[in-house]
Amino acid sequence: MLFLQLLANGLQVGAIYALTAAGFSLIFGSTKIFHFAHGATFAIAAYLFHFALAGLGLHWTFAVAVSATSAVVFGVLLDRFMYAPIQRHEGSFFTVFVASFGIGIVVQNLLGSVFGRGFMSVATPLSNSVEVMPGLYLSPLNGLAIVSAIICFVALHFFLTHTFVGKGLRALSENPELVRTFGLSPRRLSTYAFALGSLLVVPGAIFTAAGTGINPAVGHHVMLISLAATIVGGIGSLRGAACAGLLIGVAENLAMWKLGTQWSEAITFAILFFFIIFKPSGFFGRATVS
Amino acid sequence: MTAYILNLLVLISVYAILSTTLNFIIGYAGIFSLAHAVFFGIGGYTAALVAMHVTPEFFVAVPVAMAAAAVTSLLLALPALRVRGEYFVAASLGLQVLAVTLFSEWKSFTGGIGGVIGIPAVELFGYPVYKPWQFLLMSLICLTIIIVIIRTLVHTSFGRSLKAIRDSESAALASGKNITVIKTLSVVLSSALAAVAGALYAFYMSFINVQSFMLDTSVLVMAMVIIGGTATVSGPLLGAALLMLLPSALTYLSFLPQTEIGSIQQIVYGMAMVLLMIFRPGGIVSSHPGGSK
Amino acid sequence: MSEQLMTAQETEKPASGSGFTGSTDAQDVLLEIRNLSKNFGGLQAINDVSLNLRAGIITTLVGPNGAGKTTLFNMITGHIPPSEGDVRWQGESVIGKAPWKIARAGIARTFQDLRLFTHMTVEENVLTMMESGSWLWQPGGKSRKAKRLDKVSQILEKTGLTDKRHTRALDLAYAERKFLSLARIMATDSRLWLLDEPASGLDPNSYNLFLQLLREEVKEGITVCIIEHNLDIVVNISDRIAFLDQGKLLADGEPQTILNDPALAAIYFGER
Ligand SMILES: Nc1ncnc2c1ncn2[C@@H]1O[C@H](COP(=O)(O)OP(=O)(O)OP(=O)(O)O)[C@@H](O)[C@H]1O
Ligand SMILES: [Mg+2]
Repeated sequence: MLFLQLLANGLQVGAIYALTAAGFSLIFGSTKIFHFAHGATFAIAAYLFHFALAGLGLHWTFAVAVSATSAVVFGVLLDRFMYAPIQRHEGSFFTVFVASFGIGIVVQNLLGSVFGRGFMSVATPLSNSVEVMPGLYLSPLNGLAIVSAIICFVALHFFLTHTFVGKGLRALSENPELVRTFGLSPRRLSTYAFALGSLLVVPGAIFTAAGTGINPAVGHHVMLISLAATIVGGIGSLRGAACAGLLIGVAENLAMWKLGTQWSEAITFAILFFFIIFKPSGFFGRATVS
Repeated sequence: MTAYILNLLVLISVYAILSTTLNFIIGYAGIFSLAHAVFFGIGGYTAALVAMHVTPEFFVAVPVAMAAAAVTSLLLALPALRVRGEYFVAASLGLQVLAVTLFSEWKSFTGGIGGVIGIPAVELFGYPVYKPWQFLLMSLICLTIIIVIIRTLVHTSFGRSLKAIRDSESAALASGKNITVIKTLSVVLSSALAAVAGALYAFYMSFINVQSFMLDTSVLVMAMVIIGGTATVSGPLLGAALLMLLPSALTYLSFLPQTEIGSIQQIVYGMAMVLLMIFRPGGIVSSHPGGSK
Repeated sequence: MSEQLMTAQETEKPASGSGFTGSTDAQDVLLEIRNLSKNFGGLQAINDVSLNLRAGIITTLVGPNGAGKTTLFNMITGHIPPSEGDVRWQGESVIGKAPWKIARAGIARTFQDLRLFTHMTVEENVLTMMESGSWLWQPGGKSRKAKRLDKVSQILEKTGLTDKRHTRALDLAYAERKFLSLARIMATDSRLWLLDEPASGLDPNSYNLFLQLLREEVKEGITVCIIEHNLDIVVNISDRIAFLDQGKLLADGEPQTILNDPALAAIYFGER
């Protein structure tokens, strides 16, 4: 039964990783910005959801709105006021990465100072687990996380294939020059990429806040995992990021079953390390890596 | 008060060794490693082990520590040869996370989470070094030697080959450079020298645990290099001094809540990383503002 | 081919005037490309190309954009493995060899996008080309180093970069960068130079300097294969022309023959 329990947990966590990784992958694929602060977006969304719900006592719909707005605003602001100036004068990969890492540190510590460093979680009626089978506890939240992840992916797929902006984003990842000749501004598209990519962390952030709980380092942890998922899945492939996110979530939980909690992160990164050495393009990545 | 200052200076020189050796691969070889703390740790644990079970002699413990780090650094050289940019950063991150798990689980080598306690004082040809000022002298000498080694290397043909590979790998290949050997050598060298810092640290603290060798340390050292200025000699030294002095400087600002000092320190250096990348990506000591690698 | 055989004996030395009408079959083949092909996914970038580069002359590689010229260079220098075929350097196959080994065997190249060592000075850019065999240090000590620096001075003199010796490559003007990429390969002592559009975008003065430089080096015994789009330049420098289109070698011969072929001209000027 423990196996089933961990599998169920793994699927929920995996769904959250998949969404966050998809957001990172979308941003990285279309703008080539290594947005390490994506984890900070996650943490902000989670904390503000918690604050709105538990601190201000708002209705959950408002709390979701607050969380989503803050994530999008944060992502877009970073794009406008941090990445854009850096890219204007140089924009080497590492410069962007260091700035992004820096902002991640700032956010993590600000959240810690404001909300405290301990673990927090909001209890919602949906968080209560029921014993569906002997030894298997599930809460409505488990299913909800997976269902909303599926909805998000379907919506994202529709957006990218059927809307003008979505097509522009996909074109941007393949050929920036082409985008310019079609009269779309890469800068404008970059804003959309950040807005959309940041929005994708919201479900994960909310379910984490309402489920397993959050601490200021949660963004960092989720980011590391999303990064692993993005690379294992193949940079630039949303499908790859999603599959790998799910896989890692499940692997992490099953590793707990056999090896103990302390090995879960190590397992993920061992997978990542071997992928980088033996198949750097990932599951679904484009053929070459330069 | 003097004890306090001596302590700070020893720690600054230990971190200056780390930032100098990391700068060697970041600044000159273009290998952006986030796993430097791993070799700091391997150096520390190995030296501690040798000191406790074999001899606390500096000229035995430190070379063994360096050798251990050099061998394990091949794990970092491997991805450095295969991939670049974000892929390599991710690989080094992976190595760092793996190492932390091993450091906390491999109890016979590292003592697990509890760490290694009671590391004896280091000896120089049989004479124990335990007074803080003696220790400071010893670490400053190590730092100086390492700076000289690295400075000399980057001004030789080897240094030029490294920089050539950093600037254009394909052009370096087309000019006949054996990239595999050159890159591997630079990673091995940087890691072995970082192990010296680990050994000094272990001897100085006489107690070490995994807490000192986590991703945070790798990031801190990277921040020292970046903030100080990559591909310069004085940059990493300045960066190390600034970031180590920051917490003590903040303690003197009495209006700050003392419990928040740690956070404020991190916020300050996080902000410094952001602002520098926007306005002066070459770091504080940058001969060419606005355009360094 | 028979036409060339007749002219071969008459012109042994490069003649002045329009080009260096060197002879052909009389000289030995330095590099031999045999049935070389390259697929990028579905794209046939090079399709069964066989071509000989003869010693001591300038062979020009012409063809429209995307013809596969750069890809051909990349396969010769080992930067890209071919899908099929062979490349023989002085009779020995270089396929499967690492690029640095091929470079040390005597094949030097420039890149279309230059790929200078941007954060190094002009002097370092040139100096490092002479130190490929070095390990942690370069054997030979001070006197050898002084000799190398002397050679750098000479090369910088020839390429007009003496004043810029301590400037970073990044801070050079466009023409200076192109000359630096030439200076780099001049330092290598290679027998064969593969030049990827070295003259594109040069002003008349720089262009003349470039031409003079090239002539001198060829006279010294360097063999050159050059990719060039500008037909005036092609006429001016070529001893032999190879015409590539869509990965296929359409023609290979004397400049007059190629340039007067109306079918090739039509392809070249895009009137298909
Ligand atoms: N590494 C690669 N991967 C995939 N396709 C490639 C690669 N390199 C070249 N190609 C393709 O092969 C074809 C030939 O390219 P190549 O660069 O050799 O042309 P070229 O003749 O040098 O053109 P130009 O005059 O524009 O330099 C082009 O269609 C190009 O897109
Ligand atoms: Mg080309």
